[in-house]
Amino acid sequence: MNQYAVETESLHVNYGKTAVLWDISFKIPRGCIVGILGQNGAGKSTLFKAILGLIKPLSGKIDLLGGCRVSDVRQKIAYVPQRESIDWDFPITAEEVVLMGRYGRLGLFGRVRKADREAAANALDLVGMRLFAKRQISQLSGGQQQRLFIARALVQDADLFLLDEPFAGVDMATEKAIMELLKVQKQQGKTILVIHHDLSTVEEYFEWSILLNTRLIACGPLTEVFHRENLIRTFGKGQMLFDEAADSLAKSQSGFL
Amino acid sequence: MSLLDFFTDPVLRGPTWGTLFMCIASSLMGGVLFLKRRCLLGESLSHAAYPGIVAGVSLFALLFPEHDESAFFGMLAGAFATSFLGFKAIEWMEKKEKVRSDAALCFVLALFFGIGTVAASAMQSSLPSWRTKIHALMFGQAATMSDFHIALYAMLTSAVALFLFFGFRHLQAVLFDSDYAKTAGLPVRWIDWAIFWLFLFALILGIRSVGIVLMSGMAIAPAIAARQFTDRLQSFFCLSALFGALSGLAGNIISVMGTIALSKSGERLTLPTGPSIILIGAAIALLSLLFAPKRGWAFRICRIAAFRFRCLQENVLKAMWKKESYLFNEFQEIHRVVPLMLHAILWRLKQGGWIVKAKEQYILTADGRRKAASIVRLHRLWELYLASELGVSHEKIHLNAEEMEHILTPDIEERLTRLLANPKVDPHSQPIPERSFL
Repeated sequence: MNQYAVETESLHVNYGKTAVLWDISFKIPRGCIVGILGQNGAGKSTLFKAILGLIKPLSGKIDLLGGCRVSDVRQKIAYVPQRESIDWDFPITAEEVVLMGRYGRLGLFGRVRKADREAAANALDLVGMRLFAKRQISQLSGGQQQRLFIARALVQDADLFLLDEPFAGVDMATEKAIMELLKVQKQQGKTILVIHHDLSTVEEYFEWSILLNTRLIACGPLTEVFHRENLIRTFGKGQMLFDEAADSLAKSQSGFL
Repeated sequence: MSLLDFFTDPVLRGPTWGTLFMCIASSLMGGVLFLKRRCLLGESLSHAAYPGIVAGVSLFALLFPEHDESAFFGMLAGAFATSFLGFKAIEWMEKKEKVRSDAALCFVLALFFGIGTVAASAMQSSLPSWRTKIHALMFGQAATMSDFHIALYAMLTSAVALFLFFGFRHLQAVLFDSDYAKTAGLPVRWIDWAIFWLFLFALILGIRSVGIVLMSGMAIAPAIAARQFTDRLQSFFCLSALFGALSGLAGNIISVMGTIALSKSGERLTLPTGPSIILIGAAIALLSLLFAPKRGWAFRICRIAAFRFRCLQENVLKAMWKKESYLFNEFQEIHRVVPLMLHAILWRLKQGGWIVKAKEQYILTADGRRKAASIVRLHRLWELYLASELGVSHEKIHLNAEEMEHILTPDIEERLTRLLANPKVDPHSQPIPERSFL
């Protein structure tokens, strides 16, 4: 058994006719908080979806939690989706969203047990949302909604956390509080991947980083990879020619060209 | 004929129980589709059943020409076949060809229904007696339902109820956040599969009593009504079933009574069941949209009016804070509202103990003075926040603060105070009333 939480090897992903990820190979050791940086459309969310097995890569290999396939370790991976992907008008209360973290291992006929309910109540407490347990989710503020989904991930007792922009639309106090919770998880040996936008807080939050711009710019300890040159490559426009070429390759592969 | 007869009479009980079970099943599955945001799928699939019904009945007529009482089975088989084909076509267009969902749904609806209509008119010459059976399915025909149909629909409804009961948690996760359900290792495929087949069964069996054209409305109307009343999934399904059952029962009874009344008056007309059921269902949905306590239109209007009224009261208080006493006419000059409204505002303020009237003069009480000061404080705090923290220009801040002063909660006020370090003057150099004084 190796010590890597996530390991990918020449991962390629196409979305219809556009190349989203191009030859991504990296290794992330267990027990660290990883910031995934890149501009819009750089393939950050797609990387998550590929890791989670929600989309099928064109080619390449993904190993999780020491060489396992995603289908064997599903209970061990907690996913916090982007806020926009949630139907906030859905008839569901805060409490039940958190309880959903336990749905991967329900009893016979999907009955929820008392232990599950208690775990959910504790997780709500942990994120400071006990008072809002009975609220319908659209009646929560942005920060509260995000904390709710963190609680759902916590209640799952996962070893690997994938958080897609957990700080979007969240106030600074909540952001810090979420970060504290994640640090506690890290100390228990869990690995946390966070898609992040705000470059000013990167050094404060993360110890490891993946810089992504369709292809992998860098992956490594923050001190080694988080410097000017890599950031220009990640956020600069020098890549446009590459993107164009990669696009036409994808089009050829899917028969549009 | 009493109400009980509808449930016990050998002739009447078929349509009554049949439509009742059918409506419960289809409104429950319609609720599922409603939450999946795929309401139009029902419309497309029920229309896609049409060519199958025509083909199924025709084949049946050719194979077993003397068993026309069992044509129901030919109809069922054909309806399933083409509905399923329609579904696959929609799925293929959406997923593989990236056709937009609404376009795919419309296309399948129009194409399949067109084929069905052409095929049905071809039957007119070759199988005229069988064609009337098909024609009845357009808007449904409940009157000819028998005990066999009761059993069939009861089975369907039990299957749906069992699925919702035992699959509730999984279904909830799949409907709410399907990606998450997949990552948690839930049997998403099975759930989707069960949803599709149960929905298709409910839809196609429902066509028998409500008809191709109206079936999807029957599935969705109860869900629209139920959503107005609850924020919990369990109660959403219970209410959907209840509203579905109500429209089924009432629609059926109205149709029977209406037909009897029409025949008494000598007309050879019938009041069809399908449209009656749909109209009741739509009426329930409409009333719910208008009058549901939380989300209903009427109550929202009331809340808006109450809010406006409160704003006006607070504005009057604020004006009085700046000047010792007011005459009624003076109010009228500043506040451009009809005199009756102004009387109402002043009466309400007097009732609340904020102002008193002495010799035609309106004067603030001590409580009123405190309340007015707190509104002014909110107004000026907000102005300062806009100007100093957000850099909004001075000409614009007043109007925005005029609105926000009615909205800001004590919690926000406290945070503003802390953020602005308990300020003493606003951007117009006016003093901000102290909290301690309030």
